[in-house]
Amino acid sequence: MQIKVVMAKLGLDIHWRGALVVSRMLRDEGMEVVYLGNQFPEQIVDAAIQEGADVIGLSTLGGNHLTLGPKVVQIAKEKGVDALVIMGGVIPEDDIPLLKEAGISEVFGPETRIESIASFIRSEVNQSIA
Amino acid sequence: MANNTTNQEKKLFDHEVVQEIEAQKKRWQENTLKGKDGEGQYYSDSGIPINLLYTPDDIKDVDYLKDIGFSGEAPYVRGVYPNMYRGRLFTVRQIAGFGTPEDTNERFKFLLKNGATGTSVVLDLPTIRGYDSDDPEAEGHVGAAGVAIDSIEDIEALYDGIPIEEVSSNIVTHLPSTTVVVMAMFAAHAEKKGIPLEKLSGTNQNDFLMETAIGSSLEVLPPKASFRLQCDAIEYASKNMPRWNPVSYNGYNLREAGTTAVQEVACAIANAIGTSEELIRRGNKIDDFAKRLSFFWNLFNDFFEEIAKCRASRLVWHEVMKDRFNAQHPKSHLMRFHVQTAGITLTKVEPLNNIARSAIQGLAAVLGGAQSLHVDSYDEAYSAPTEESALISIRTQQIIQAETNVVNTVDPLAGSYFVEKLTQDMAQRIRDYIAEIESKGGLVAAVESGWLHREISDFAYQMQKDIEDGKHKIVGLNYFPTEQSQTKVEVFRYPETAESRQKEKLEKLRKKRDKEKVERALAVLRQKCHEDVNLMPYIKEAVLEYATLGEIEEVFREEFGLWQFPLA
Repeated sequence: MQIKVVMAKLGLDIHWRGALVVSRMLRDEGMEVVYLGNQFPEQIVDAAIQEGADVIGLSTLGGNHLTLGPKVVQIAKEKGVDALVIMGGVIPEDDIPLLKEAGISEVFGPETRIESIASFIRSEVNQSIA
Repeated sequence: MANNTTNQEKKLFDHEVVQEIEAQKKRWQENTLKGKDGEGQYYSDSGIPINLLYTPDDIKDVDYLKDIGFSGEAPYVRGVYPNMYRGRLFTVRQIAGFGTPEDTNERFKFLLKNGATGTSVVLDLPTIRGYDSDDPEAEGHVGAAGVAIDSIEDIEALYDGIPIEEVSSNIVTHLPSTTVVVMAMFAAHAEKKGIPLEKLSGTNQNDFLMETAIGSSLEVLPPKASFRLQCDAIEYASKNMPRWNPVSYNGYNLREAGTTAVQEVACAIANAIGTSEELIRRGNKIDDFAKRLSFFWNLFNDFFEEIAKCRASRLVWHEVMKDRFNAQHPKSHLMRFHVQTAGITLTKVEPLNNIARSAIQGLAAVLGGAQSLHVDSYDEAYSAPTEESALISIRTQQIIQAETNVVNTVDPLAGSYFVEKLTQDMAQRIRDYIAEIESKGGLVAAVESGWLHREISDFAYQMQKDIEDGKHKIVGLNYFPTEQSQTKVEVFRYPETAESRQKEKLEKLRKKRDKEKVERALAVLRQKCHEDVNLMPYIKEAVLEYATLGEIEEVFREEFGLWQFPLA
């Protein structure tokens, strides 16, 4: 079964390079990726529902990860979405435990190889299906 | 015949000498080099083939006086000013901006006290994207990654105690829509202080590509509208603020998003060409405004290519001004540019290595003749710079200025067979790419169709592949990968109370201002959006009545409509 990802720039953050490159390379890895552009948590979750996504990818370099990131998880829970939520961008090391506590499954910083994102997604999504 | 001799005499090297060198080079290749010139072909970062050895025959067609010349004279390859850094050192211009205007004002004072010679402010995302701090869209962003500006009162707080008539002010406004508002606030606040507009010196960014191609967002104005506002700001400044640079064509962020050095310069010059055509259509003369157009380059690690790019950019700009626009004023021909070192080349692994990278890039900027410089801080991949890392960036520039002696002579790499050849090659590729943009109908059309977005996205995608394949080497990452586990870096924290402090000020402002006057000013602006007039005076009226940035930009969004960012 093809894994489906919705990828969004979180809030107003303008840096689209990472999100778009990761989207294209996850497609190369055989996944279906819907790139949403910039969205706020509510719309991101709605898009995930509409697309039946297995994974929600959030990209941010704008310093809003702690405020908006956990919100996506919270809204997803409220709406009964059990998609895997992952995040990428420039995010201080110390914030990663906080994000994970809030339900973000993994945080990928600069220099992450795309195949390691892909294999993380595969193992998590397959586990939840099994 | 006589003519021929004169022509020959103008070449750098005598024809017979070149022939002899060519013959000797052949001999050298066969007898001495013996094919040991390394495996495969070598290329510069933007794809220019690089030879093992450059000799006079590589630049045999160069006519020194015509093609290179003297500093401060056409074709300006060697620099825009005759005495370059002996006359005035490059401006040490470190960006600062976080929290409320009061917070950033403190950082300004710290940087100036430590030798910065100008201020440079970056705005937070809600400000850049045209939302007030109390807008729901602004949540989580206020005072993060830049300073929040909502009204003219914030500009007053930002520059409190800063002698703006002496110290130049750089305002990184990014989008034209932000520029017109913030520039109007800056101008109006100066007049309130009793400083005439003629005395204000500085730069704002003002590039429609920032709105429509480089940075994505929720609500984007159509390219034509954004371009119109860009031109409005330039036209207004050319008439009222003679020492102000109302635009800094932003090659930098194009490059960060994903382009070659050639595309970076070509897009910026294509934008300046479009601007010039539009302002001439409005009845301005080229020499009224061309002298205040400025540029912003990004210098990566390919040392000589970046230096050649700086030199080539001056040459191509001069050609554009002379041949296309027949500009007469010498200043119209000067390609003046700010450089910021390349944030995207900095690594998260072994972050202190970034000090070396930034120093090399900064040195290239100075060898390339930059007018001002920002050296990125080593903690770029972690957060905005701390006070400590920002100070190292200033010190790096001061080391280049005072300890290396490179500023003592103009354009020291001129005459290098390699650098001159590379300068010519870069110039030709820049001209070709400008022609390609024009074949798409010009830069505005190239953005409307999504062509430019695809160019950027394709480059970024390829680069990531090359990094993962090890084709593009990065020390500590795919070349001598680090053995350190995690590096502990002290990160900069944005002040958490900024949002509430900004909201409080806004609430007070909305209560105390004359509501009717605000609405009247906004209504006039709304109507003028649909006329072929410059909007700046109407925006200035509105900010003087304490209309907020978000209210003014809402007018733009409603009147110009929104545009779908063409990326998928």
